[in-house]
Amino acid sequence: MNNLEKVLKKQPKKWIINLIFVLAVLAAIVYSFAGSHINWTRFNTVGISLRIMIEGLGSINTDFLLGTGIYQFEEGVVYLALETLAIAFLGTLIGAVLAVPFGFLAAKNIVGKKVARIGEAVLVLIRVFPEIILALILVKGFGVNALTGVLTIGLHSIGMIGKLFSETIENMDRSSIEALESEGADTLTKIRYGILPQLMSDLSSITLYRLDINVRSATVLGIIGAGGLGASLILAAENWNWDILGTIMISIIVMVLLVDAVSGYLRNKLL
Amino acid sequence: MRKFTVSSGKTVVKPINKIWFILLVILILTVIFSLFIRIDPRNIRIGELFILFEKLFTPKGNRTWGDYFAFMLTLREPLGETLKMSLAGTVIGSLAAVPFAILSAKNILKNKFLYYPVRFVINIVRTIPALLLALIAVFFVGTGVLSGIIAIALFSFGIMTKMLYEVIETVDMTSFEALESTGANKIVAFRFSVIPQIAPMFVSYMIYIFEMNVRSSAILGYVGAGGIGTTIKDNILYNYDRVGAAIIVMLVVILGVQFFSNFVRSKLQ
Amino acid sequence: MIKFVNVSKTYPNGVQALKDINLEIHDGEFVAIIGLSGAGKSTLLRSINKMQSISSGQLFVNGVEVGTLNGKKLRLMRRNIGMIFQSFNLVKRMSVFNNVLTGRVAYHSTFKTLFGLFPFNEKILALESLETMGILDKAFTRADQLSGGQQQRVALARALTQKPKVILADEPVASLDPITTVQVMDDFVKINKKFNITIIANMHHVDLALKYASRIIGIKEGSIVFDGSPSEVNEDILVKIYGRSLKHNEVLGE
Repeated sequence: MNNLEKVLKKQPKKWIINLIFVLAVLAAIVYSFAGSHINWTRFNTVGISLRIMIEGLGSINTDFLLGTGIYQFEEGVVYLALETLAIAFLGTLIGAVLAVPFGFLAAKNIVGKKVARIGEAVLVLIRVFPEIILALILVKGFGVNALTGVLTIGLHSIGMIGKLFSETIENMDRSSIEALESEGADTLTKIRYGILPQLMSDLSSITLYRLDINVRSATVLGIIGAGGLGASLILAAENWNWDILGTIMISIIVMVLLVDAVSGYLRNKLL
Repeated sequence: MRKFTVSSGKTVVKPINKIWFILLVILILTVIFSLFIRIDPRNIRIGELFILFEKLFTPKGNRTWGDYFAFMLTLREPLGETLKMSLAGTVIGSLAAVPFAILSAKNILKNKFLYYPVRFVINIVRTIPALLLALIAVFFVGTGVLSGIIAIALFSFGIMTKMLYEVIETVDMTSFEALESTGANKIVAFRFSVIPQIAPMFVSYMIYIFEMNVRSSAILGYVGAGGIGTTIKDNILYNYDRVGAAIIVMLVVILGVQFFSNFVRSKLQ
Repeated sequence: MIKFVNVSKTYPNGVQALKDINLEIHDGEFVAIIGLSGAGKSTLLRSINKMQSISSGQLFVNGVEVGTLNGKKLRLMRRNIGMIFQSFNLVKRMSVFNNVLTGRVAYHSTFKTLFGLFPFNEKILALESLETMGILDKAFTRADQLSGGQQQRVALARALTQKPKVILADEPVASLDPITTVQVMDDFVKINKKFNITIIANMHHVDLALKYASRIIGIKEGSIVFDGSPSEVNEDILVKIYGRSLKHNEVLGE
């Protein structure tokens, strides 16, 4: 018996670390609420706010939707949604194309450790900028329009796609290349039949995933005027115009769900 | 399509390589979408970019470099707000996601009529960009940290639920069966067989989402939800140097959080 | 004491897995069930602790009819029955010790177990089980770092910690190499004799069944076609059970 009790005492006490971790996080959260100036009385108005919101959301402003009546076509949701999609699509395309060289430059098994580190650092630098900040900067150079949106998303995507792509390159499966080598294939053939198929399918998958996210970003970028739904959104929000807001929100949801579905479907077919 | 006839007389049809079709579609889409982007050369002033950089990263007027860095120090408070907001929102949203993820996992509830509706509602929540959530939150509770926490919590909830139920669906259920055979009820069996498998993933995802939220809190502040974003918005008209300082601080923090995140998550594997 | 009375089981897809089974198994026996894959061995075994329900007939475990049991009463019955699976069914990321401890979860209320706090004596019991199985030194190792044979012993230790009267084993050694197989089968015999626990095992390898069990039950197409001691099993009986001569992978060899 005693022997077993000794064994029990020797048990690694992992639960202490877990407990400390959990307590620390809880403490941080409590501090977040206590240390900030939160106006808890605002919760009283939640009921009224909710009613206003739901009333507004329920009524879709068809004029605004289609760009008829008092709205220009270009101000209509249909046009804006398409513009948002355009920004997302083109930005992702640019990002994907440019991510290829950057990805190779950041892959240790292609350019060697030293150069790869620099490549990685460049990608990290691009990625660390929140898109909105990038947009604010680019707006100065390219104006408050959709072009800025495309460039912002493009630049950000180079960073995002580039990183995932470089990881794909580094984790590349060598077996098919070895098989080709043993058949006596030359370098070009090895690239064409061994490397390219793997990389391209992975790149497509990464890009589709990114496109999905970029559509959401594109709607947001409009906030600072970079085109798309965001601009109308912020205007409506500032005036608490709930039916317009509702129309926009519903169209955003529909658009994103659609892109989600298509993107998911395509990615499954790729796998 | 090409038909091949082999020596035994059988024929095989080789379909057209789909790649060309895909490239064609992309080309067409590119052309169509480009129509939406009107480029007015008069709007493009690249020189402005360089001027902007100078304004951002040099002290304005009669302020000195000392002032520049001193301002960075005053950013401690909004920065703290950003981090606290992100942390609280991430944890609350992630924890709330757990029961919903369990309910939406195909291998737990098994009844299509139960998990599809749950998943659908969550998908809707997920499609709403964080910014929009922040706007709504501001409408409900006013500007400030609270709306930021709510927005982040909702956003985290959406992402965590999806990531979590995907993990739960791939979990090894054999130990669940074994525990049921010892007489445990479903809840207990779940706690001892499924939870140990998903717990590390949960923590890993939570840190990843936290990283994302620190990054997006910049924009959240822009619409009034608190944090560094508010600083940027307040200063964007006249004090570019302060905006630049805020940007630098933000970048450093994001980088730091990224390193921390990568480090801890690699340890968890 | 386990008693089957006219037990039949038909699956929703129409397959009749058990046809009018009548069987009595007494305490302390070491029973091996042999037969083709799909003959009904698994269904028979799993109906004992109601992991599989039966379509008609009655199944008694220690005088209680299993078919009537539900919810808490069912769980109380299952507490006394240990089960060993072909793929060990351990929680891979957890330590061996914690895996074995989970054998006791059914002895506490749901609320208490949620926190994972087990009484001191049960922790000692878990360690004792590990010692009986000869793997005490692996107590705090992660379960997936053990070899197959060791993992099955952990599963056995978990079953022992339940303090069961019966252990059901569904092809317990089918995933193990020949040498480990013998070791684990020896463990079953040890448990059977030392604790007087009834062992009922589905065996894929006939020669193992004949060597270790005290009673052989042969199942073919849902019916019992043989029930007797290993010494009575000859070539004819085997052909009757399997419908043909044995394949080489149904015999372990040596």
